[in-house]
Amino acid sequence: MRANRNLVAGQRLPRLDGAPKVTGRFVYGADFALPGTLYGKVLRSQVPHARIVRIDTGRARAMPGVRAVITAADIPATRFGNAIKDQTVFATDTIRFLGHPLAAIAATSVEAAEQALAAIEVEVEALPALYDPEAALASGAPLLHRDWHDYVALPFISRDGNVAGRTRMHGGDVAAAFAQAHRVYENRFTTALQHAGYTEPRAASAAWDGGDTLTVWTNAQLPFEVQTTLADILGMPTSRIRVIVPGVGGGFGGKLRIGVEHFAALLARQCGRPVKMVTTSEEELIAAHPRQAAIITLKTGVDRDGRILARQGRVIVDCGAYSGSGPGTGAVALQCLVGPYRTPNLEMESLAVYTNKVPSGSFRAPSGPMANFAVESQMDMIADDLGIDPLELRLRNIVRDGDTGPAGEVLRAVSIEECLRRAADAIGWHDRRPAPGRGKGIACSWWMTTGGSSGVYLKLNTDGSVNLASGAVELGTAALTGAAQVLAEQLTLDLEDIRIAPVDTQSTPYDYGAQGSRTAFSVGNACIAAAEDLRRQAFAVVARHLGLPADEMRLQGKCVVAGEHRVPLSEVARLSQLGGGGLIAHGTAINPPPAYDAARVENHPLPVWNTPSFHAHAADLSVDRDTGEITIHRYVVVQDVGYAINPTYIEGQIEGGVSQGLGQALSEEIVYSDGRVLNANLTDYKMPTSLDVPPIESILVECPSQAGPYGAKGVGEPPCIEPPATVANAIAAATGLWVTSLPITAEKVLLSLRKEYPQAVDHRDSARD
Amino acid sequence: MSFTVHHPASVSDAVALAERYGADGRFLAGGTDLIIQIHRKRLASQHLIDLTGLAELRAIEDAGDEIRIGALATHKAIERNPLFQGALVALAEAARVVGGHQVRNVGTVGGNIANASPAADVVAPLLALEAEVVLQGAAATRRVRLRDFLAGPGRTMRGDGELVREVHVAKPPPRSATAFLKAGRRKAMEISVVCVAARLTLDDAGRCAAARIALGAVSATTMRAEAAERALEGALLTDDVLRDAGRLAAGACHPIDDVRASARYRRLLVEALVPRALARCVERISGRRS
Repeated sequence: MRANRNLVAGQRLPRLDGAPKVTGRFVYGADFALPGTLYGKVLRSQVPHARIVRIDTGRARAMPGVRAVITAADIPATRFGNAIKDQTVFATDTIRFLGHPLAAIAATSVEAAEQALAAIEVEVEALPALYDPEAALASGAPLLHRDWHDYVALPFISRDGNVAGRTRMHGGDVAAAFAQAHRVYENRFTTALQHAGYTEPRAASAAWDGGDTLTVWTNAQLPFEVQTTLADILGMPTSRIRVIVPGVGGGFGGKLRIGVEHFAALLARQCGRPVKMVTTSEEELIAAHPRQAAIITLKTGVDRDGRILARQGRVIVDCGAYSGSGPGTGAVALQCLVGPYRTPNLEMESLAVYTNKVPSGSFRAPSGPMANFAVESQMDMIADDLGIDPLELRLRNIVRDGDTGPAGEVLRAVSIEECLRRAADAIGWHDRRPAPGRGKGIACSWWMTTGGSSGVYLKLNTDGSVNLASGAVELGTAALTGAAQVLAEQLTLDLEDIRIAPVDTQSTPYDYGAQGSRTAFSVGNACIAAAEDLRRQAFAVVARHLGLPADEMRLQGKCVVAGEHRVPLSEVARLSQLGGGGLIAHGTAINPPPAYDAARVENHPLPVWNTPSFHAHAADLSVDRDTGEITIHRYVVVQDVGYAINPTYIEGQIEGGVSQGLGQALSEEIVYSDGRVLNANLTDYKMPTSLDVPPIESILVECPSQAGPYGAKGVGEPPCIEPPATVANAIAAATGLWVTSLPITAEKVLLSLRKEYPQAVDHRDSARD
Repeated sequence: MSFTVHHPASVSDAVALAERYGADGRFLAGGTDLIIQIHRKRLASQHLIDLTGLAELRAIEDAGDEIRIGALATHKAIERNPLFQGALVALAEAARVVGGHQVRNVGTVGGNIANASPAADVVAPLLALEAEVVLQGAAATRRVRLRDFLAGPGRTMRGDGELVREVHVAKPPPRSATAFLKAGRRKAMEISVVCVAARLTLDDAGRCAAARIALGAVSATTMRAEAAERALEGALLTDDVLRDAGRLAAGACHPIDDVRASARYRRLLVEALVPRALARCVERISGRRS
């Protein structure tokens, strides 16, 4: 890391919300309850695909404690959705996945609501179901959304029947390059459905005021999206819907889209009382917004020295019953499939496909780990086949400053070489196979800092402190503490002088939201702009007060300094209140995407990446050849963060992201059989425990961006991208074979070693060293 | 779901309550399984008979040639008790990998046995140690072999109203050792995909005088691998002999395919873990001698 001259930004300061969180005083969304609240529950279908013949709620309505029962018959069949408005609150005539909401009940207790759910009679007629996205693509496959033509979708989305979104990127002449290549490698990879694993289930409380104004308290990541989605569903103006976020116990993208807010709002409207809803673990695993399962085919042609001549890739993401974040996730996979490599000829295609399974979402670095698993496993296979060291192969192919990226954009602040070399050094790359059954692996990637605008308000208090109001939610990452550090630095304040207001759509300015590695970056930039506004106003107040010119003033040590005069900010606030109605400042930020070549991209929501970050991971592990069990000894992450606003919480992001990535790599999978989740509980859905996660060593690289506060780049998502590939490559170093299907369970490893598992690439017979 | 919780003041009161409520009553020990079953609505008991106040059931006693483990002894108590650090260490090894710390602090040996999960970790070493279960009913107390007690997944020969009161484990003869190994997808909070417990006694010539092998999660109940045991007894325990025992054990078990693992993988794990557990016993016996 570079020397940091700042006093607050860049320092390892304790987060502002730390004390209440570690002492149990913090109020999370699931803790929040209104006096007199009722409890809501959702009836979910028990079949994956069926026509609804009859839903009879008569008996349920008569049960003790029941105050409201709603089904599709009680509300307009409004369709909503992020990219495609293809969802309704309840199944209207067709059930499309097991877990599909059919009805909701509010009662005086959770138990009463559950008992009433069981009294609802549902008669259905089964329909042939599609669980495999490749089968859904086949000609003659039944259409899962017969009226897909009528759905409203974002204009750039290309749809066709069971394909909810198709995106392409291309450049050069792939066929010609393959024809000239020294070798061409083609592999198929599959990845599994993964839950975002937030500790706190999705929760919401809703209350109506006079029948036309709604307030919802929710642990959503995007309160402004919840507001507009509720406005769609309820047919109300957004200003009549107030969304407040008390606190969020983790989101990781799983709380981006609406969760249970709409059920709570509809139930509360029907019974005229507040309604609280909290999901169960089972609901989380059958009907939340998990990371899509993907099928990736990747074909790469190289010259004799291993230089990439062409790459052709196709990713199929399984959206489940509704498109959710699928079209965007598929699209972003294309940049990941190119990777941080010079690729003169490329042809990439993504297909987001409907099936009769849980609608999926956008879990941390959507599609990043899946695509990286494919690209980086294949890079190692190529290296092994050509007898080139995997690190060396990467160094021959990585992009350099000033190169063009996949959309033809010019890449700046490229640090991938430093990341790779330092990761290799840290893991001890010179000794890549230190013992039989032990191996080291490396993988690298790049990722975007998502755009979108941010606004913040500042209020200067008469004690000299500053209130910061942002529409970005603190998910637990400490990103808001990071933004506050930037703000404090700008205003010569201490971090403790910043008070962060709770997010409330009625009073906080708009923010594109806590997502996409953008929160500290974008809110931090808005804070810089707002600090400039605050300084300007403060100087004007002092100028009026002292009769001195504002343009010679500066802030120093929490005072406005004007020549010999030092006016504390507390005094500025007081003066402003006397004559100016108090001091309120406003700042906004937007990070526009770089210029790119539109001819290379079709139907892509994020055709070019803003302020990309670069990173490399390395692992040292052992494989038990008799059981297939993997033991990771060390794990190293080298991540270019541009500027480390708070190294402690960046390390926290890295450790958490790697843990999630290792879960995806080795153990986590929502397992479906005939449309039913077999492990809809936390006993059999295997997130890694503290004993499964090895010591993680974080090395922060600071290659400053032009766009971020003090040069920062997005931090939050990248750490979960490389773990699957890193682990796969380390296993290959230890065993000579790559398992090409996630999760790489001990069972798959052992069966692959015994040549009993088909989804593996076995180089043991051709091993070179 | 609603139920009445009873807090009996003595074992006889508890047994009387169990007899009164029959199928509507359930004993509550650690509750680590019972509460989950109630939450998942797989169990609708009207009456929970809370045993946690019965301190007499918590004791772990050295009774000379056997050790008596009270049904309410927690996994943590087993893990920490010096009686299970020598030849009986497999019990501590099994107790140490049940769930996580919170589960081990409340989960009990009696509950683990009465629950009769084929994957119950502590049951495997108890079976390898030929443990006996003391059952107390309203009229009589009886002592049965653990292997007879286990009748099927979730099923035992415990009669209506009978309480698992104690487990008795005979102290193994000199030159004996035990070992426990568990395979699962993660290293804590894990239900065994396969677990193996072994007990070995060597004679002075270094031959196997007695071998007991118990396998978890590969049949309807935790099972003994008797063919493998017989093949070991009288033999010099070379690597080949241990491997053969693994193969025999793998051939004798009846694993199923489920969400945790395939039957094929479970069999391969038995084949791998049985020789490993036996080798560990051999190391422990020879290590103690030297």
